[in-house]
Amino acid sequence: MHYVALYWAVMARGGALDLEMTAIAVAISVVVGVLAAIGKLYGGKLLAAIITGYVEVIRGLPPILQLFIIYFGLSQFQINLSPFAAGLLWLILYGIGYAVEIFRAGIAAVAEGQGEAADALGMTRAQGLRRVILPQAWVIMLPSLMTFLVLQVKNTTLLYLVGVADIMYQARLGTSATEQPAIMYGMAAVAYLVINLTLSRLGGVLERRVEASR
Amino acid sequence: MLQLWQQYLPDFFAGVVVSLEVTGAALVLALALGALLVTARTGRVRVLRSLAVGYIEIFRAIPVLVLVFMAYYSLGQVGIRLPGFWAGVVALGAFYAALYSEDMRSGLQSVDRGQREAAQALGMTNGAMMRRVILPQALLAFLPPGTNELSNLIKDTSLVFTIGVADLMFQANQASAATFQPMDMFVLAGLFYFAFYILISRILARWELNVQRRRS
Repeated sequence: MHYVALYWAVMARGGALDLEMTAIAVAISVVVGVLAAIGKLYGGKLLAAIITGYVEVIRGLPPILQLFIIYFGLSQFQINLSPFAAGLLWLILYGIGYAVEIFRAGIAAVAEGQGEAADALGMTRAQGLRRVILPQAWVIMLPSLMTFLVLQVKNTTLLYLVGVADIMYQARLGTSATEQPAIMYGMAAVAYLVINLTLSRLGGVLERRVEASR
Repeated sequence: MLQLWQQYLPDFFAGVVVSLEVTGAALVLALALGALLVTARTGRVRVLRSLAVGYIEIFRAIPVLVLVFMAYYSLGQVGIRLPGFWAGVVALGAFYAALYSEDMRSGLQSVDRGQREAAQALGMTNGAMMRRVILPQALLAFLPPGTNELSNLIKDTSLVFTIGVADLMFQANQASAATFQPMDMFVLAGLFYFAFYILISRILARWELNVQRRRS
């Protein structure tokens, strides 16, 4: 048990880094994702095809392979990113691929009918999106967005493979120092469990609040 | 680049075979364990129900890489020494069992209540009702999300290279270290993974189309 006490603080620091990177990446990919989803829906065929292709590549390749292409692959062309930069860039690119589809589905679900009503009131498309469609789409998308957040937290485990000092990295170091893999990976598992279960509970509370306020 | 690809292609093919073996074994384990979980979850015994819910919640919240390391290193420390291949299979199987059992449950729930009542009215036993009425329809509803999960499973097998299993990702890693051309090698691996993804998602799309046509 004294191993737990010994490594608790280090793991927490790793967890803080994970959460920080997740927060930055999710914030950026949500903003880009909304714009890309609007582009895909209203931006013409060519733009829609490009965005669809991007989403397919992100969904079709294993996450670890994408990360390695950014970190190791780019080094072949003398583009050497730090582990943090490569990890964050990957989380953002991956997140955009998921966010686009979430927003596209959400906007499309509301736009049918509501979009026509906004048109009928003489709103421009931008006004219709901003005032009518997006405020309603957020509510529909809340569950998928929470799933997305949890997915990104889980994805941060891969970052240690390129040297980011996250929870997994600390568990790995702790294991080689103490030769107690059961305790070290157990602590990592508990850390992720606490983070992810908290996030899904928060998501549930948020959903009920929003539902109740409607 | 093409010359390098040609040189390493046999290694990559060997890696693909290992990746598919891990996928197949993990899929069998996940489906079997998933079926057990859904039976416990929808059954009458309260303790089993809570155990199943707990299992599903916990395993869905832990990242697969952590599970892979636990199956390989942590189980090893407590005396259960699995070779890398089987540690990977156990970790992926345990994780996907949680996901599959949820897909199976929504498949079962999608069968209209009237079907059950009709079967009872015909005097069928519980076993006959499940076998002839409920399961065939539930399976139809389970297949699209089940196939989608399979495509994720194949991608997640790429994590077993971290415990030394010589899968596709492992071969790409080796080749990129040997040639100092990581981009070329990881892109080649990407082509293989992408081919599987396209294959499965197209089969899935065709399947859904077929089912819809048959129903309408």
